[in-house]
Amino acid sequence: MTPQPRKAGPIRCLLGMLGTDVHTKGIRTLAQLLRDRGVEVIYLGEHNTAQGMVSAMLAEDVDVVGLSFSTATYVHYTRGLLDAMKAAGVGDVPVMLGGLIHRDDETELKSIGVKGIFGPGSTTDQIMQFLEDITGKSLIRLRDNLA
Amino acid sequence: MTTSPDQPASAAADAIAAVRRGDIRGSARLISRIEADDESVRPLLRTLYLEGGATPVLGVTGPPGAGKSTLVDQVIARYRARALKVAVLAIDPASPFSGGAILGDRVRMGRHNTDAGVFIRSMSARGVLGGLARATGDCLIVLDAMGFDVILVETVGVGQNEIDIMRHAHTVLIVQTPAAGDAVQAVKAGILEIGDVFAVNKADTPGADRAAAALREAVEFRYDAHDVTAWHPPVLKIQASTGAGIDELLDAVDRHRSHSAAYPDQLRARLVKRARLQLAELVAATLRRRYILENDHDAKFERVLDDVVERRCDPYAAAERLLDKSP
Repeated sequence: MTPQPRKAGPIRCLLGMLGTDVHTKGIRTLAQLLRDRGVEVIYLGEHNTAQGMVSAMLAEDVDVVGLSFSTATYVHYTRGLLDAMKAAGVGDVPVMLGGLIHRDDETELKSIGVKGIFGPGSTTDQIMQFLEDITGKSLIRLRDNLA
Repeated sequence: MTTSPDQPASAAADAIAAVRRGDIRGSARLISRIEADDESVRPLLRTLYLEGGATPVLGVTGPPGAGKSTLVDQVIARYRARALKVAVLAIDPASPFSGGAILGDRVRMGRHNTDAGVFIRSMSARGVLGGLARATGDCLIVLDAMGFDVILVETVGVGQNEIDIMRHAHTVLIVQTPAAGDAVQAVKAGILEIGDVFAVNKADTPGADRAAAALREAVEFRYDAHDVTAWHPPVLKIQASTGAGIDELLDAVDRHRSHSAAYPDQLRARLVKRARLQLAELVAATLRRRYILENDHDAKFERVLDDVVERRCDPYAAAERLLDKSP
């Protein structure tokens, strides 16, 4: 493949939670922060299955997926999702994690294919930089165009 | 003949084949290219348009929080029980400041995520004000060609005048709530004029009977009771959260579809009106792009422009000159 220019259109990001975790405050906050930076967030909310999330990824043609966890089962659920993604042929879609992710688990998460980890203390700018780098898309700065 | 280096004919043929066999990822990517206004998809859309148009499109519209997504979830479940394959296009608004969006309609439809007979696509209106996205029409060409039995389009939560859905749906379903206002609201011009079927949702809350009666009176007033061929839009009370009244609502949608089939001239009039609006809009958009955005001025345009600036010609006559074939 020849080197690609920045891809067209806004970043489409799927956000959702797996399993029984119901702590949605964080992911809803992130959804709003991303919205305010020009991202199209496809918000799935809580209680998703890996299979359901993979179907949504396919139909929505997302550039990136974000998961949020506030319970200790995240390695298990993330592995399940990554496996289901590979099986469905969408293993190439990058996955990022946020929430209460322990530093000790970062190596394992990266080794199974997680591209970005944003635990407590992460800034919106760090997340945005990651999204632009990983998707190859530029943010549309509508406010600048209107000024 | 439409081959270009970016879009070899074989890639176009592959994309068309992917859509026709209902390939989810291929079709989803094509929809993204439509949203990005990628002109290389036009030859594909042309092919699909020429042989499409058979899939019924049910539009669901109404104010924010009226229960549109919850109703769509129920309708999907009913159609799946009839073994129909269902596509959903769910549109939410974009931020006027950042251009970003939170597309949250899927939250209410989560139980269908794992059903291979259901395809749900969320779309940002991307600044368009009529209740739909600019890509809606072209996206419907793709969904139509994918082989679904029915297509549902859920609009942005709308107010009084966002009526774009009438250009795309064979049947328009308007969802209201008992909080929609009094009998004066029901007789105002605008969105209530485009409904083929009306649902008063949240029928368990106070005022539901009165809201339904006000809507019914307003709807009956608009239709000539002596015209036996006219469609009389029914007004039904439902509870989308429990599913109460949804079967009766879908019976009404089916009756509207049978009515359209029984009076093909009425259906044709609807399609002609739709095509007329669409063409006028496309011509306007093409001219806007040509003359303003791309600054691609031909000699005639420059001459007319000059005549207007120098007051040799007034803008109305100048516009006429641009649209005709005269020099």
